[in-house]
Amino acid sequence: MNKLLNLALLWCLANSATASEIELEKIHKEIDSVALERGVEALMADCHSCHSLKYVKYRDLIQMGLDKRKVDALRGEQLMDAPMMAEMPESDAIQSFGKAPPDLSLMVKAREGGDRYVYSYLLGYYTKPDGMLGNHIYPETRMPDPLGIAGATGTEQRVAIQGRARDIVSFLDWAADPHEVERLHLGNYVLAYLFVLTTLLYLVKQQIWSGLRRE
Amino acid sequence: MPGRLIEWIDQRFPLSSFVKHELTGYPTPYNLSYWWNFGFLAGFVLMLQVATGIFLAMHYKADVALSFDSIQHIMRDVNYGWLLRYMHATGASAFFFVIFIHMARTLYYGSYRAPRELLWWTGQGLLLLLMATAFMGYLLPWGQMSFWGATVITNLFRATPFIGDQVVIWLRGDYTVGDATLTRFFALHYLFPFLIIGAVIVHLVALHKVKSSNPSGIDLAHKDNIPFHPYFTIKDLYGLGLFLMLYSVFVFFLPDSLIEPANNIPANPMQTPNHIVPEWYFLPFYAILRSVPNMVGGVLAMGLSVMMFAFMPFLDRSRIPGGAHFRPIYRLQFYLFLLDMLVLGYVGYTPPTDQTLLIGEVATLYYFGSFFFIPFVSKLEERWLIARGLPPEVISLMESEARALKKQNRKHGRRREEDQA
Repeated sequence: MNKLLNLALLWCLANSATASEIELEKIHKEIDSVALERGVEALMADCHSCHSLKYVKYRDLIQMGLDKRKVDALRGEQLMDAPMMAEMPESDAIQSFGKAPPDLSLMVKAREGGDRYVYSYLLGYYTKPDGMLGNHIYPETRMPDPLGIAGATGTEQRVAIQGRARDIVSFLDWAADPHEVERLHLGNYVLAYLFVLTTLLYLVKQQIWSGLRRE
Repeated sequence: MPGRLIEWIDQRFPLSSFVKHELTGYPTPYNLSYWWNFGFLAGFVLMLQVATGIFLAMHYKADVALSFDSIQHIMRDVNYGWLLRYMHATGASAFFFVIFIHMARTLYYGSYRAPRELLWWTGQGLLLLLMATAFMGYLLPWGQMSFWGATVITNLFRATPFIGDQVVIWLRGDYTVGDATLTRFFALHYLFPFLIIGAVIVHLVALHKVKSSNPSGIDLAHKDNIPFHPYFTIKDLYGLGLFLMLYSVFVFFLPDSLIEPANNIPANPMQTPNHIVPEWYFLPFYAILRSVPNMVGGVLAMGLSVMMFAFMPFLDRSRIPGGAHFRPIYRLQFYLFLLDMLVLGYVGYTPPTDQTLLIGEVATLYYFGSFFFIPFVSKLEERWLIARGLPPEVISLMESEARALKKQNRKHGRRREEDQA
């Protein structure tokens, strides 16, 4: 029985080792409001001209912790309750890139690997020998290198771009799951409550059943 | 005053006696282990799913143009909508988790044996209803995996002889999975839980006729039964606390671990996802479907693989009670079967390659083989165990069961003779 289990385990391990996938880069995502603010600003500058976030309204950014004046500056003439739609109409984008740029509201949840995927993808651009742009993570991509990582030369420049990508992905993380902080916070209380309740129930159970044993 | 009210009711409706006989005073074996908690847990999860589902239905829109957006509306704008949705989505997995353990316990301890066959079969019916409900509910978010999962599964009905194509169109309400499919799946997803509640009542009526089995596998003397309340109410509540802790870890900390990433992309009939996988609880059956090269054969094998459990009372011919408790070979078969389910689940999850297809075929053969060989193995094992010697209480139970069977047969025989005369 144990031998079989070991064999099965070994086999699974061997299998996962041979499956060669490109290693995704690790990301230390940030949840403090300063990083999120940097993230939304970078996103507005680098992504938002083509990509929408149709499930995020400008008003939601206030809940995220952004100052109302800053939201006003970001939204321009858009209404507070308007969704964050791309500046470029979709038809123009299709003409330029041959494909509608996907909505980013749920992007980090919609890819295997989540935020690590998006982070690695943004930093995955490189210049091919023929001078064209390539991407390690998603070779078929139609998007031009938005952060300019392929052309970055110095270490300092690369680090700055990595920081910018991390900010954008941290913001996208928030956008995909705006209630995450609240959920984790509530979860701690729920688990603590259940732990106390279950302990008490266990003690009551022991008490009740001990009467049975004496009889 | 309350006393007089209850008296007034009792003269017109058997309230007190019902509560006393079926709830508080219901005789329960004292030696039930924690594996006997899962029936109650399944009932609890059912109520949780109905409660969260009704509130979700107040905000959900069953329309191909609106349903994906309405889920995001629930997740973002509805007060605690994210909690309701994560509870409901996690609840589906929790339901199968609890039911699979409940079934595994029945198989391990041989609780399906006479006289509990009908109890087992109503449970089998409940499993089918649960699977149908979960499958239809999975279409409602209208993500990529929802759409393609429903497309693949409804397509299986093409295997129906002669009228396959018509059956598929009849199920979908259209030539492809579309708005008609979504609205009917929503309507049925709302209806089926109430059918499940009805079937649960039948299941409980059957249980209260034959009473709970117990881990010793031997019918207990009357004095070894204890009233359900307070002993098992508190034991069930303690188990519930443990279950809720595990459930809350998933709801609050890992809610997306049970949702395929592709289901966060709206359904797109023009683009097939790289790899269509069902939810984890369907994976072993899905692997069996894929392991048979012929489509009709695959569908039959998958249907049969779910229904095989119902044959257990006939397949297990051993007269030794107690399932795996007194039967080492049956116990080995049980664990190997669980291992086989895990292997099948893994095969169902990975994209098909020559290697996994081969493993899937072997595991499928083993799956059906383990049912097929039970009648012979159980008989041989019985002979071996009797020759080796069994505990006296097991022998006496076997003898009393044999006497009861003979008496029953004699009664039938006499009746037949009378009929003929």
